[in-house]
Amino acid sequence: MALHLVVLIKVVPDGKEVFVDPVTFTLNRSMATNIINPADENALEAALQIKDKMDAKITVMTMAPPFAEPFLMECMSRGADEAVLISDRAVAGSDTYPTSLTVAAAIRKMGDVDIVFAGEKTSDSSTGHVGPGVAEFIGAELASYSRKVTYEDGYVIAERELENGVEEVRIPTPAVVTILTDSNDPRRATLRKKIDAMKKGIITWSLADINIPADWVGLRSSPTVVKKMLPFPRKDRKAEKIEKDKIPELIDNLVKAGVIKLEAE
Amino acid sequence: MADMKKAEPPKDPSQYKGIMVYLDSFDGSLTRAAHEMIGVGRKMADKVKEPCIGVVIGDRVASMVDDAGKYGCDEVYGFESPDLSMYRSRPFTDILSGMVFEKKPNILIVPGTKNGRDLAARTAVRVQSGLTADCMEIDVEPETDILIARRPDYGDSTMSEIRCEKHRPQMATSRPGTFEVPPYDDKRTFKKEIRKVDLKKEQLREEILSFKPKGGEDITVSKVLVSGGLGMGNAEGLKLIEQLAELMGGSYGVTRPVADLGWAPRDHQVGQTGKIVRPDLYIAAGISGKPQHIVGMMDSKTVIAVNKDPEAEITKYSDYVINGDLYEILPVFIEELKKRKQGKGRK
Ligand SMILES: Cc1cc2nc3c(=O)[nH]c(=O)nc-3n(C[C@H](O)[C@H](O)[C@H](O)COP(=O)(O)OP(=O)(O)OC[C@H]3O[C@@H](n4cnc5c(N)ncnc54)[C@H](O)[C@@H]3O)c2cc1C
Ligand SMILES: Nc1ncnc2c1ncn2[C@@H]1O[C@H](COP(=O)(O)O)[C@@H](O)[C@H]1O
Repeated sequence: MALHLVVLIKVVPDGKEVFVDPVTFTLNRSMATNIINPADENALEAALQIKDKMDAKITVMTMAPPFAEPFLMECMSRGADEAVLISDRAVAGSDTYPTSLTVAAAIRKMGDVDIVFAGEKTSDSSTGHVGPGVAEFIGAELASYSRKVTYEDGYVIAERELENGVEEVRIPTPAVVTILTDSNDPRRATLRKKIDAMKKGIITWSLADINIPADWVGLRSSPTVVKKMLPFPRKDRKAEKIEKDKIPELIDNLVKAGVIKLEAE
Repeated sequence: MADMKKAEPPKDPSQYKGIMVYLDSFDGSLTRAAHEMIGVGRKMADKVKEPCIGVVIGDRVASMVDDAGKYGCDEVYGFESPDLSMYRSRPFTDILSGMVFEKKPNILIVPGTKNGRDLAARTAVRVQSGLTADCMEIDVEPETDILIARRPDYGDSTMSEIRCEKHRPQMATSRPGTFEVPPYDDKRTFKKEIRKVDLKKEQLREEILSFKPKGGEDITVSKVLVSGGLGMGNAEGLKLIEQLAELMGGSYGVTRPVADLGWAPRDHQVGQTGKIVRPDLYIAAGISGKPQHIVGMMDSKTVIAVNKDPEAEITKYSDYVINGDLYEILPVFIEELKKRKQGKGRK
């Protein structure tokens, strides 16, 4: 039987186009367009690389308003076989707990999922909680922060990149893997697949379709609440101007103060 | 595995007491990030007059348990098994959430290392509570026992304050380097308990095949950091930055676009999506000082900016500002340092 891979994606504002207003020191998003979260493109590519080698079906899935549809189409144009949009007004304002719960419920509905791919984090909220949260809800093994994933006989082998080294782990399916940003080169869409995608269309599920009561999700069922936006803490330093010819003096002072050490400790 | 249902808050949150700190470790020692978290937990514990409870999981934990106490925990629980010598998501989640159910802490903080984030995210779901990632400030309101967790927003020009008012424990992680390591006190007394754990087969489905330590320097521990931005103009500029860093026994950092361009490895990127550093000396050469960079270096003790533009944002975050071309300024530093070093050698 074909392996069933699910790739979780999120549509986020394009960080490169968001800029900070130098006068007001606030974020100007007016120019921002949307993109697929960068790590999720790598997650899709990691799934596609498994499909290159064996019989596999890839479902891309996102919980989002309908504006996410073209991005799901883009994923199919790169090689995903089907796309699921979980769209329901009730999910608005969900934090990572209800998001993980909803995504997990949709995965359960599919029933036969072998590996779930998620990004290590999103570039807009950047929590990285959803992948591990989904693993917890569906009771799957988890390999987070992976840069390379292979599948063999019911097991996923993943290279986890940690702060101090690379760990190779082997976990049985069903498994959740979260994929590092920039860990591979996402392939481009092809015209042929794009035409196929348009024929197939997108599957849309509401909360009722995945048996999640509306009062389990959304702002009111999210444990965390954003209280207020505060200005970025600014440490004002003395910004003493130093002319080029005063650099020797500055160095002497820093050596005296122990900030610069001339001998190795 | 967590129940597929909504996060249910406890009927009486005031029954939850104490600050629990998960202490992550590597190769039998607590990580620096774990030490930072003890400091954060200790401060909150003093404020609300509740215990700071450390949790250590590993192969042999005795020395780490002692370390945790000496750095500031009031109670430390160690969990020991040969199967726990390295982090594994499921058994670690089982143990930490077990401690949450047993001790009912009001707050649980976890170091934001990769394994720590993995563990915190799973535990939050298991214990049905709320978790705030990447906090720059973690504090508690004594009147309400509410955790105040502040994190930079997307783009970082503002901070959000995130609260978890109804659910317990209130959870947070911070990126390594965000806080100072508290002082070590050999005389501190604390309560400790080491428990041997017997893990079941189904907890150990994850098999660790190999671990290859990463070479290269860790810029978060360097006392001196010389960083270059786009003002370097090209990849060659990094040589100058590296040379100065080496002369001072430090390492080099870069801004994100410099790493994006492939002029330097990502491991050396400072900022929101890079590393958080707090060296004694930070020299920012050809760096404009955008908030996403500033969050990564603003706690450095002394900051020197070298920039062509006297109005660059970075100057506000600098103790000393040298206006000029980095290709003219940095060689002066290099020459002067070489002179002083040679002088020392001759004596
Ligand atoms: C979501 C998100 C996350 C981000 N994360 C990070 C992060 O982690 N780290 C990070 O650094 N950035 C990050 N950024 C990018 C950040 O917003 C800035 O774009 C970046 O920090 C600017 O880099 P820079 O200072 O090198 O370049 P620029 O802003 O282009 O500044 C170059 C500076 O060099 C000066 N200069 C030019 N030539 C010379 C010369 N010959 N001598 C001396 N000075 C010279 C110029 O006056 C200028 O001030 C992030 C952005 C987003 C949207
Ligand atoms: N609304 C969503 N729908 C589907 N997948 C999501 C959603 N939000 C997050 N994810 C997945 O979870 C990963 C981590 O997201 P986050 O925890 O928000 O940083 C993302 O890279 C996606 O793969």
